[in-house]
Amino acid sequence: MNAVGIPSANQDPADFTISADEPILITGAAGFIGARVVQSLLDRGFRNLICFARPSSDRSRLDSIIESRPAGTKIELIKGNLLSREKCEAACKDVALILHLAAGIGEKSYPDAFLNSVVATRNLLEASLKHARLRRFVLVSSFAVYSNCDKPHGRILDESCPIEPRPDLRGEAYCFAKVKQEEIVREYNKSHGIPYVMVRPGAVYGSGKGDITGRVGINTFGSFLHLGGSNTIPFTYVDNCADAIVLAGIVNGIDGEAFNVVDDDLPSSRQFLRLYKKNAKHFKSVYVPHAISYAFCVMWEKYSEWSQGQLTPVFNRKRWHADWKKTLYSNRKLKIRLGWTPKVSTAEGVRRYCEASRRNARNA
Amino acid sequence: MLKVAIVGCGKIADSHAAQIQRIEGCEIVAVCDREMLMAKQLAERFSIERHFTDLNQLISEARPDVIHITTPAESHFDVARMCLDKGCHVYVEKPFTLYAAQAQILVDLAEEKGLKLTVGHNDQFSHVARRMRALVQSGYLGGPPVHMESYYVYDLGDPSYARALLGDQDHWVRRLPGKLLQNVISHGIAKIAEFLSGDAPQVIAHGFVSSLLQQINESEIVDELRVIIRDEKGATAYFTFSSQMRPQLHLLRLYGPKNGLEVDQDHDELIKLRGQKYKSYADKFIPPVQFARQHIGNWMTNIGLFLSRDFQGDAGIKYLTESFYNSIRHDTPVPIPYREILLTARIMDAIFEQLNSANAQRNSPAPTASVL
Repeated sequence: MNAVGIPSANQDPADFTISADEPILITGAAGFIGARVVQSLLDRGFRNLICFARPSSDRSRLDSIIESRPAGTKIELIKGNLLSREKCEAACKDVALILHLAAGIGEKSYPDAFLNSVVATRNLLEASLKHARLRRFVLVSSFAVYSNCDKPHGRILDESCPIEPRPDLRGEAYCFAKVKQEEIVREYNKSHGIPYVMVRPGAVYGSGKGDITGRVGINTFGSFLHLGGSNTIPFTYVDNCADAIVLAGIVNGIDGEAFNVVDDDLPSSRQFLRLYKKNAKHFKSVYVPHAISYAFCVMWEKYSEWSQGQLTPVFNRKRWHADWKKTLYSNRKLKIRLGWTPKVSTAEGVRRYCEASRRNARNA
Repeated sequence: MLKVAIVGCGKIADSHAAQIQRIEGCEIVAVCDREMLMAKQLAERFSIERHFTDLNQLISEARPDVIHITTPAESHFDVARMCLDKGCHVYVEKPFTLYAAQAQILVDLAEEKGLKLTVGHNDQFSHVARRMRALVQSGYLGGPPVHMESYYVYDLGDPSYARALLGDQDHWVRRLPGKLLQNVISHGIAKIAEFLSGDAPQVIAHGFVSSLLQQINESEIVDELRVIIRDEKGATAYFTFSSQMRPQLHLLRLYGPKNGLEVDQDHDELIKLRGQKYKSYADKFIPPVQFARQHIGNWMTNIGLFLSRDFQGDAGIKYLTESFYNSIRHDTPVPIPYREILLTARIMDAIFEQLNSANAQRNSPAPTASVL
């Protein structure tokens, strides 16, 4: 126990949930975070990895990690779709740990997002039951699941905050899918005893990430509307996030817990935007004060309802609370229970991100 | 109260559910999907009381009057036949069936059982398409169309569908006889079929894999198609499907013996193409002003529709569905004549036969003609 009464992490490899040679399945392994998770596992000495990636995914980063893996390390690459139960069964064979990162990111339609997140997750859970070797299922979820209303600690958003009760009304298919994805993992825990841990990263950024997070602002009608203002943005650098996911898979005694992932020394939206414009790409932005963005969201929501969906309810009060309300973030639980510390400082992370964005803009 | 059910709870089912719930005098009583989770999510989001994984059970327990089939295309025929057999009216999403012979069986069965049938060619029921139809019926063209041009441009860059399709060798679209084309061209073909005479038009099709797809080693998905159609009375049509040309047109032009019409589905614009010429330089100065007036008129119509809350993206689905339900209630003709559904299916059959035969004879790429 530490001074604040939260049990501390034991970082001794002998006390990890799995040993270095037991198989670990990583879904979404070729993705933005997935490839870094693979690297983080290798850095920690794990020698038996199964990487699951969609056939259409860009595997260049993963391929280079696989090529430069340490001697004696086994990495199996399975190309497929988690909607295939057969592929899931093949991937889950004898695995001790599943780090489930694959999700329907970028899907605008609710059914598509649901299918690629929830149905895919159910398939994995079912497949893992057949082999009965799984000791932990780590679901990489998102801050999107929080309602950011009725928080028990004022402005602070932490793991005790309520989950969005009506994700279907948020206007974001991703939020709906993530809430339902968490629900199904809890259901399988309850009905089949599958041990799980939820990891909820904030805004993951780093080299390879395209757009600026919507929490800062949105690009629409030819101009960038800066909505974040003085809000703190819950950034986590991709390498730091990958470390947190790996720790959530291997640290003992945390089954059934959820962990938010945000870095230290978080910048405000305004500070970030200034740095980005100076170091990555200059563009014009229009600041929208919080009162105006809130009023806009209310009007949009009301109009959408009145017009029977003539404008889809992409802006609404629920979304405003989740994305643009002034909020503070805590990584205390992550640090204490998992022993996590951000390897890359926010200053360094933003510098790397801006440099990569500048390079991409030049090459575009 | 008309009791409605939806079978297949994917993306397009959302559009159906949203529009059905805007129509008076009907209620969605149940939804069905082989994947229980998909059925459940649709039922939850649209506050639908019951969801099923078995269609037989849905029909016997929820007893719907009408069933909307929004499953993948390969199952349309079997599901529609089963629904008709059980005494339900059926709305089938496009493409109606995989083959014209299947379409004929469904139409025959519906007629035999006294049930109604329609297909999701909702583009033909958008506001602008309805204005066009009214003008044609008023005789604006000066007679039946002499020639038509239908453009349907499909952006393969759309991440949600194309990425899944191109990256997945087992994607259900690849199993269709016409593959990608089968799932998307029926809108553009049906717009032509509406104005064709007879049941056996001549069809000449040429399709190929775009250079963009070839670059990513795609050899199976034909994403460029050019078709010439000629009906028994001599009316002709060009159909163009492309994934590469820009702008991304969804456009129909009708040329009559007297005047023409242009229906721009993307901007909801209907432009009259006046057949008569002005004298001398007047023909250079007056028509541009007239076109400008027409564009402003379209703009005002669109603003009016928006302000009156009748400009939803899926307004065509609502109108078609409402018309279909009315035809059931009052036993009046269906909004899309069966002849048109069958003709669309036959033209598509002819296109895919030619593409598949050209694909089989890789060394003879010249287009061939066939008479239905």
